[in-house]
Amino acid sequence: MSAPDVVVVGAGPAGLAAAATLGRHGAAVTVVDEQEQPGGQIYRQPPAGFTPPAGSSPAGRALLAEATAAPGVRWLADTTVWGVLGTRAGLDGYAGDQPPPGRYRVATHGPVGVRLLEPRAVLLTAGAYDLPVPFPGWTLPGVLTAGGVQTFVKAQGLLPGGRFVLAGGHPLLLVVAAQLVRAGARVVEVALIQRRRDLLPGPAGLAAAAGAGGKIAEGVDALRVLRRAGVPVRFGTVVRRAAGDPDLTTVTLAEVGPTGLPVSGTDRDVPCDVLALGYGFVPSVELARQAGCAVTWDSPAGGWVVRHDEWLRTSVPQIAVAGELTGVAGAEQAEVEGRLAALGVLRDLGLLDEHRAVTLARPVRRELRRRRRFVTQVLDRFAPDRAALGSLVTDDTVLCRCEEVRAGDVRRALRANPHLGTANAVKLVTRAGMGLCQGRSCQPGLCQLISTLTGRGPEQVGAFTAQAPVKPVPLRALAVGDEPPAAD
Amino acid sequence: MTSYDTAVIGGGLLGCATAWHLARAGNRVLLVEKDQVNRHASGQNAGSLHFQLEFRMVEHGDDAARAAARALPLHLDAMRAWATVEDELGERCGVSRTGGLMLAETPAEIAVLDRKAALEREYGLDVAVLSGPELRRFAPYLADTVLAAGHVPGEGKANPRLVTPALARAAGRYGAVLRTGCRVTGLHRRGRHWELRTGTGPGDTAGETHLADTVVLAGGVWTAELAAMADVRLPVFPVGLTMSATARSRPFLPHLIQHVGRRLSMKQTEDGNVLIGGGWPAKLVSRAGQVDLETNPELRYESLVGNADAARVVPAVFDLPVIRTWTGMTTLTPDHLPLLGAVPRRPGLFVATGGSAFTLGLTYARLLARMVVTGETDRSIEDYSPSRFGALNFV
Repeated sequence: MSAPDVVVVGAGPAGLAAAATLGRHGAAVTVVDEQEQPGGQIYRQPPAGFTPPAGSSPAGRALLAEATAAPGVRWLADTTVWGVLGTRAGLDGYAGDQPPPGRYRVATHGPVGVRLLEPRAVLLTAGAYDLPVPFPGWTLPGVLTAGGVQTFVKAQGLLPGGRFVLAGGHPLLLVVAAQLVRAGARVVEVALIQRRRDLLPGPAGLAAAAGAGGKIAEGVDALRVLRRAGVPVRFGTVVRRAAGDPDLTTVTLAEVGPTGLPVSGTDRDVPCDVLALGYGFVPSVELARQAGCAVTWDSPAGGWVVRHDEWLRTSVPQIAVAGELTGVAGAEQAEVEGRLAALGVLRDLGLLDEHRAVTLARPVRRELRRRRRFVTQVLDRFAPDRAALGSLVTDDTVLCRCEEVRAGDVRRALRANPHLGTANAVKLVTRAGMGLCQGRSCQPGLCQLISTLTGRGPEQVGAFTAQAPVKPVPLRALAVGDEPPAAD
Repeated sequence: MTSYDTAVIGGGLLGCATAWHLARAGNRVLLVEKDQVNRHASGQNAGSLHFQLEFRMVEHGDDAARAAARALPLHLDAMRAWATVEDELGERCGVSRTGGLMLAETPAEIAVLDRKAALEREYGLDVAVLSGPELRRFAPYLADTVLAAGHVPGEGKANPRLVTPALARAAGRYGAVLRTGCRVTGLHRRGRHWELRTGTGPGDTAGETHLADTVVLAGGVWTAELAAMADVRLPVFPVGLTMSATARSRPFLPHLIQHVGRRLSMKQTEDGNVLIGGGWPAKLVSRAGQVDLETNPELRYESLVGNADAARVVPAVFDLPVIRTWTGMTTLTPDHLPLLGAVPRRPGLFVATGGSAFTLGLTYARLLARMVVTGETDRSIEDYSPSRFGALNFV
């Protein structure tokens, strides 16, 4: 097969919509995705030969059908993109084979080993992952993310425990709790950190909600399921501690005061064997950052988001983004952004002329504006209060589970080295972020702690340098061996 | 305006160690670093302590090797410096001197190894060429393709994450003033002093001026740029390098591994990760056609493959995942020898860079500090003097 015009990274809503749009307009597209089947986390499909559980999303089905029927789309499943190379102007085009001018190298690892794709444009739709929030006991077996629990239920029809507590600050918790109840699980309590009065929508919120009937219906439906099952949903409640040996047996919940901090003397111990946490999501920007795309700090949108223009093009030519990488906003907005970014790529590659691209983009932009109005309201209401969450951390709390670095280690390192104050510098001194997960699980908590201890803002603390491979690759697969890993 | 005895420019291993030596000797020291301490080459290299000649020094024939060997006296000095630095600092910096091997896989490579060993012995380096059962007993983890290895007992590693911050703290304890996030924007001789202007970032409006009797340039790849501020041309060149780290594994590789015929340096850290490097180039990033020293070099796919492939001499490494690569820059001189000493025609201006600058950093620092304080050194450093490039400077 000849080199693709476009590599789309990720087959969630944004990637599917982008692939469908690109293919329909004559682009040769390769979609690379880590899952066995397209759909991403949200439209996750059960394994082949497995009866889909009730309640699969019809929107997902339509989009999947549209994307898989689009011409010119090649799917690389079970494959990781671990780097986008050749994006920077540089001086040594002299060492070894280079991709033809105007093409990047997208380095992948999958069932056939390490392979290079050399597209003219790259569209990153890598999605998001659960925001990790460290607190005492958060690394115990039995403490899971709401997204993880949902995956068990959705993809496998499995219940990973007997007594569930769901805690955090994201509406997804209600949806997952309802899914658990429907699947027959015993949900002991749903604890939301936001106080009820802070969640009531203002006039702007009500107006925006008019454009998002589906989302609101989903939430209302979930609340009804929970009420009918007698599951208490408590607002203004935070999980301060998880305990058990060796597995989780109890969580400690406390009331949240007006400052966002737990009120002393309100602790309650609740027995359970699964704690599902949902504080929101972190955009998976590591590949974009590795490729050199500029990012900006936007806390309500999930933290570091990729800077982009009106066609969703990044600061690096011929690299565009769509979906959660522009700010966490959910599947529906991701899908719309996927279409818009695809139109922008088609325009830049000369596969659509300017007039046609602008015309096709017009209704997409209108839809996007409508979605964004609603999402902004939700984000503001459910945005994590990072400083308050950071106060749950004690010196004993593990921040980096791969390297077992505790908050106290970081505190001591900063006290001993008062001239240090960036994520990279603290990583180097403490090893936090140097493990197998490459910092995905500790970076937000670590950066918050550095911020608290040094008084420096998130932009000054920065993030870990993103280097290829952004996901681990077996050394053997990288070595030359008998046949060189040819570009295809 | 504040006055100091010495201003050290650069917060890497060399700058921090120099500040430590000077402050300990009673000097009033200012250390300025434009980023964070240990942010660049000192924290980005893989921490090899190698006292043998490297592959890059022997790959261009015997004459080049003989020229590069003139740095060996410094390597012998460095061997002693690393042996005592943890005691002097009163803390662990991951220094381990369990020996290093330089591997040969062909008869031609063995011949290079033998000639190299003979040359090194002339300088007093304790090197033995091991082969056959003796080599297998010593290093059972090696692949069958390895035929011989040059063994130097004192080689090993230090932890680049820990050494420089420890030196910075030690300098601070003796009263050195550390300024990070502080860029030098001007360097001028004013009467009997040096005037150092610093800024804090883009625009550098909120600048400061400091006076110092002597200035030590410890700026690594920025050395030429800094020297140019004092109207001095120094021929030092940046090179981008690539390193890879595997996931942690049980300890199985106690030695520093290099190769006499290929780019390779490999070691297992005390944390269990295997670090692989050895001179695989990274792409220097350019801006407006010029090398951009402010941007990290870009990973080259060929270097990552070469890096991984070179590791096949230790088969157990092949089963580990690569979890991280990184790139950094180091400084080369035209003759691969260190640049170390007083800058001619600029009284009170000193410099060190080039050579095996991590391995030799402590030695450079000790000699520079001695020169600053006493005006002389306890060993001849004429071979490394900036005056060998004096013809480049007309004023």
